Amino acid sequence: MIQIDNLNYTYSTDTEYILNNINLNIEKNSYVSILGDNGSAKTTLIKLILKLLTPSTGTILINTDKIGYVPQHVGEVNSQFPITVYELLRCHYKVLNLKNSKLLNEVLKNFGIFEFRNSLISNLSGGQMQKVFIARALLGSPDLLILDEPSTGLDAQNKQEIYCILKNLNLNSKVTILSVEHNIEAALENSTHICILKEGTAKINSISNYLGGVSC
Amino acid sequence: MLEYGFMQNALIAGVLISILCPCVGVFLVLKRYSMMGDALSHASFAGVAIGILLGFNPIISAFIFTSICGLLIEKLRSYYKKYAELILVIVMTLSVGIAITLISSGRASASVNSYLFGSILTVTREDLLTVLILSVISVFTITILYNQLIYITLDEDGAKIAGVKVKLINYLFALLVAATISVSLRIMGILVISSMIAMPVAAAMQLNQGFKRTLIFSIIFGFIDIMTGLILSYYIDTAPGGTIALTSVAVLLVIILWKKLLVCRN
Repeated sequence: MIQIDNLNYTYSTDTEYILNNINLNIEKNSYVSILGDNGSAKTTLIKLILKLLTPSTGTILINTDKIGYVPQHVGEVNSQFPITVYELLRCHYKVLNLKNSKLLNEVLKNFGIFEFRNSLISNLSGGQMQKVFIARALLGSPDLLILDEPSTGLDAQNKQEIYCILKNLNLNSKVTILSVEHNIEAALENSTHICILKEGTAKINSISNYLGGVSC
Repeated sequence: MLEYGFMQNALIAGVLISILCPCVGVFLVLKRYSMMGDALSHASFAGVAIGILLGFNPIISAFIFTSICGLLIEKLRSYYKKYAELILVIVMTLSVGIAITLISSGRASASVNSYLFGSILTVTREDLLTVLILSVISVFTITILYNQLIYITLDEDGAKIAGVKVKLINYLFALLVAATISVSLRIMGILVISSMIAMPVAAAMQLNQGFKRTLIFSIIFGFIDIMTGLILSYYIDTAPGGTIALTSVAVLLVIILWKKLLVCRN
């Protein structure tokens, strides 16, 4: 699904690479959690994959155009923006030029957020907000779903619900998932592969290699 | 009042502006970029001075110069990503420099006050036609780009990933802001335009509604501000810029007080 070869990246030409000779192959239908310390360039790596940043050198090949993205809902999106849940989803629906008019209500119902469709996003809890952004990302039936810390700021029950949704998507809808994680426990429980970023380098392994635990 | 041709022109232009300003303003305010209106209204001052100097229609010259500055702001955004307000200062400095130099040279000093403070006497049929054409094109463009503009305003990265041509739309939006300022400057005056872009939106946001309703309320408040301001300026014989600005503050205060009252009653 994603092939990364000899990827190097620096924010400024006069500083060292923060990602140094990254080579990764992310297989179709896998669920990959990216782990690493704060500042280990996890978010930078997914921004490169999403083409929001341009690699200094190296290549990233993705064999699908249907990519869904769930941003960090704390910080990346203005949560005080005056927009209802329905308007937010409809905006994405219109931009993708989708034609199935029942799709919006179906997605709202599937994620258990139909009753909040007329609520402002600023009035939602962290868990509800995260469901809304996952629902938005899934409107275009993506082959690849990329998430940035999907459980940050959520309580235990909401965390469990979010990971249940993600695991179902991976197992039943065959969506490849790439998720930046702080939650090592959830990564071990749900992923098929773990990618560890450390000092600018990346190493990906099957989950079976980490059954004894992860050391970042 | 309505028997006077100049007042008819002013009121028709006022209606058009009251639709256009909040349509652009809602995106600027939510992008946290409302000072762009201020920077571009200063740019329009330089455009007016250039127009007077060259014997051009000042609204057209203001639109051209303001558009160039709008595009320049978008271009400079990539150089000063974390210091967006610095770009506005750069554009304001350039514009005010040009305007003051031209006006103080004595070659472009005619009726500068009416452009600074607004005037209901100076809206000619020709101006009205220019305002009408620019307003129709602008509202049509906003309608076409409505969803893309919301997406970019809320989540620029998400919009890029969803395939929205963010750079192109940001440039088009800069032109829309320039058009809005150019059509508004005759009535409201350069000093008040940026307030009218932001104030109706500020009032509408107090109502905690979704995006579409916030936009509709912004237009309603913009209409109230401009019409009340124009009528007041006719009766008390002052420049409309001042009365429009004061009305917009009064409307905002009424809404804040009304909200407080509702909270107290509950």
